[in-house]
Amino acid sequence: MRKATFPGGVHPPPSKLTADSPTVALPLPPRLVVPVAQNLGAPGKPAVAKGERVNRGQTIATPDGFVSAWLHAPTSGTVTGIERVVDAASGRQFDAIAIESDGLDEWADGCDQPRDWRAIKPEEIRKAVAEAGIVGMGGATFPTHVKLTPPPGKTIDTIIINGAECEPYLTCDYRLMLERPADIATGLEICLAATGAKRGIVAIEDNKPEAVRVMTEAVRSVSGAAVQVLETKYPQGAEKQLILACLGREVPTGGLPSDAGAIVQNVGTAAAIAEALAHRRPMTERIVTVSGDAAARPGNFRCRIGTPVRALFEKAGVGADFEALVFGGPLMGKAQFTTELFVKKGTSGVLVFRRAAAYDNGPCIRCGACVRHCPSYLNPSRLSILGESFLDGNLDAIDAAMGIGLMDCILCGTCAYVCPARRRIIHLVEMLRGERRKTLERKREKQREQQAHLKREADKVKS
Amino acid sequence: MSAQAEPIAPKPAAAAKTEPAPPTLVVGHWPHLRGKDSIARIMWSVAACLVPAALASGWFFGIRAYMHIGLAAATAVVTEAAIQRLRKVPVTVSDGSAVVTGILTAFCLPAQAGWYVPVVASLVAVAIAKQCFGGLGANVWNPALIGRAFVHVAYPVDLNPSSYPVLTSGHVTANLGTAGDALPAGVQAITGASPLAQMKAACHAVTGATPGANQLKAGVEAAAADIQAALAQAVQQAQDQIHAGLTGGLPHLGDMLMGSRGGSIGETSALLLALGAVYLIAKGWVRWQIPAAYFGAVILGALALPIHLAAEVTQGTAVVASRDQYLWAAAWMPELAWKYVAYHVLSGGLVLGALYMATDMVTSPLTGRGMLIFGAGCGVLTILIRLYGGYPEAVCYSILLMNTTVALIDRYTLPRIFGHEK
Repeated sequence: MRKATFPGGVHPPPSKLTADSPTVALPLPPRLVVPVAQNLGAPGKPAVAKGERVNRGQTIATPDGFVSAWLHAPTSGTVTGIERVVDAASGRQFDAIAIESDGLDEWADGCDQPRDWRAIKPEEIRKAVAEAGIVGMGGATFPTHVKLTPPPGKTIDTIIINGAECEPYLTCDYRLMLERPADIATGLEICLAATGAKRGIVAIEDNKPEAVRVMTEAVRSVSGAAVQVLETKYPQGAEKQLILACLGREVPTGGLPSDAGAIVQNVGTAAAIAEALAHRRPMTERIVTVSGDAAARPGNFRCRIGTPVRALFEKAGVGADFEALVFGGPLMGKAQFTTELFVKKGTSGVLVFRRAAAYDNGPCIRCGACVRHCPSYLNPSRLSILGESFLDGNLDAIDAAMGIGLMDCILCGTCAYVCPARRRIIHLVEMLRGERRKTLERKREKQREQQAHLKREADKVKS
Repeated sequence: MSAQAEPIAPKPAAAAKTEPAPPTLVVGHWPHLRGKDSIARIMWSVAACLVPAALASGWFFGIRAYMHIGLAAATAVVTEAAIQRLRKVPVTVSDGSAVVTGILTAFCLPAQAGWYVPVVASLVAVAIAKQCFGGLGANVWNPALIGRAFVHVAYPVDLNPSSYPVLTSGHVTANLGTAGDALPAGVQAITGASPLAQMKAACHAVTGATPGANQLKAGVEAAAADIQAALAQAVQQAQDQIHAGLTGGLPHLGDMLMGSRGGSIGETSALLLALGAVYLIAKGWVRWQIPAAYFGAVILGALALPIHLAAEVTQGTAVVASRDQYLWAAAWMPELAWKYVAYHVLSGGLVLGALYMATDMVTSPLTGRGMLIFGAGCGVLTILIRLYGGYPEAVCYSILLMNTTVALIDRYTLPRIFGHEK
């Protein structure tokens, strides 16, 4: 079989310590804290009050707008309050719904019942996906119903189920493929039905031959579906790079995968779609890989959304001797400044390292490694130099960076991984983007003021 | 090698079962993994790859070669540290880049030069060519070559290629004196000079390495009737000298490969230089595109461009007749032509320049395509200067000129951004 891939990228040590560790269900913690900011887009609005009794699967927050997601009680118990907790993705504080478990773990009415999803119309499927609170489980947490609703005029011909899992250490997707291949295949079938796409691809890197075998078997019954073996390379699982590898199509700049006729869903998302549609189970749990050199018993744990990280640490034998706590993979995951954190829908991994990676921030020696490896074909060296130039007071650096593709960076970190000067390239790119946003906001504010001023002047003349 | 980049087997946690004290967390931007390369690793590897050629230089040119390398490297390190102190920036001599600059500077100087030559060259390389531009990564031109260009102008006698150390059968160094006196006696008299100077002398049948002197003075006070005959004789004589050079007058090609020939300290042993370069290319720290394009352009240029002979007959001070003659190496196919090309590749600083100077990361383009253009440009300039310029050692200035164009090359060779139209 042809091994598909994309130009550029790197081969970091895979470090998949937990590949052979079957998923273990984490004992239900006595207290769960569910942050309302679970998804990309607007956080949900809490729909329960302190003291209220909830059952598993009951809605506890409703979406605030279209690009927003429903949230459900991860177990049965009592709401003990709305707290402010740190969000692992942004580092900012958001509301979180604290639930004291009653230990019964009872499903809410209407949940956990089989349903014949084949009888449901596409728009009803999308509605059901939305109401099950499904978001992208690869880490980006984009609401899945939005993805399944292509903009008018765009035709989706292919659904790609992303089983690449190109991040080192993470194995939650791999274990899911081995343990629940049928659910993933059903999820793919549902996505095909919801969008009218004819072709389904399960994309898996070639370092997971067992998953390739199992998934090939599982999708045999799904018409138009097949497994695509990918070269093992980071960032093979990045959406745009995956579409290029599988279909040979480039998502145009500023565009969405639908502009290339494709939708990409993580394997975990596909399984969650199957759960929601075929069993009426909203998203209340996920698999989390706990790994890193500071974890004595690394493993894959099936745990409820809102599980305290401390509970995972206890199970995985994580002590206090670590310097870095990362949510997600080591290349694109976010370093945390506190351990008062809770598992979210997008928490694919919780990694603990004895030593944090150092940024030497040396001078760029123009070795060109970042340019050669960049999967977006950018010049990260130049972008980082423009970032430093901006910090030195050169305000024109933002425009210069815009001219060389500042917004086309996918922030995968490949450049910073290969950089011999260990420059904080992605940091500078994000800084430039943030500053650009601020500049635009200031500009808009100024325009509004000017317009208001003109209007006042005009009114004066009239009166 | 950073510990974070390697998978580390899980170790049992020492912490007790009780609630552990919250660890002090270090928050950095992603990625939280780093590759193994570092500036120090690259620079010290380059330095290590230069060691075989450096060791061999003592065998070929005597203890002075080691002295020069040591002086140049020490001057580079001291200068860099001193200037960084003055600039109040961290002293980074431990990253090895100053040592590499020092070694490379010494490599393109002759062993017979005075002790002050490597010191001044290295000082200029680090102080002016590197630190004045902002230090590592910010310089436009290769520091070692700027140092070399400076001393070439400042100490023309020390740097005169015809005064380069001469190899005798026992690898004893000796100074032959200037080729200016030597040439009229015939090709034999310049066999000690660097092969490139010899070849240029032979090609042009010039009076030594004096820049611009590419006429063959065929005879003073020649009778008018004999003028045409004298011209023809002059041209013939020049051609004969070239053939004599290629068939025996020049050092044996095997010696050229090993390094027993005249020349600068580190440029002579093509084999030892290539050995280190193969390692650096395998590691990806030297990109193959630059040397490939450089050597390719020189080889094609040597085959495609003619040797120019200018013969003239003078009476008193007046030139009474002259003739231009062009010789095409391709016409000597197969044997002599390849030999001629091989001398072009192996002589002078070409091997050192193409493998270690032109490939300097800081002063070469970022992309493979850019590197091909850059290398080809170096090659074309080198062969043009060698064949038609007045100075036999073309590599230094070719690379410096091409360094100047790097920003422009980068501008037009960066790849199309993902998702953009070309």
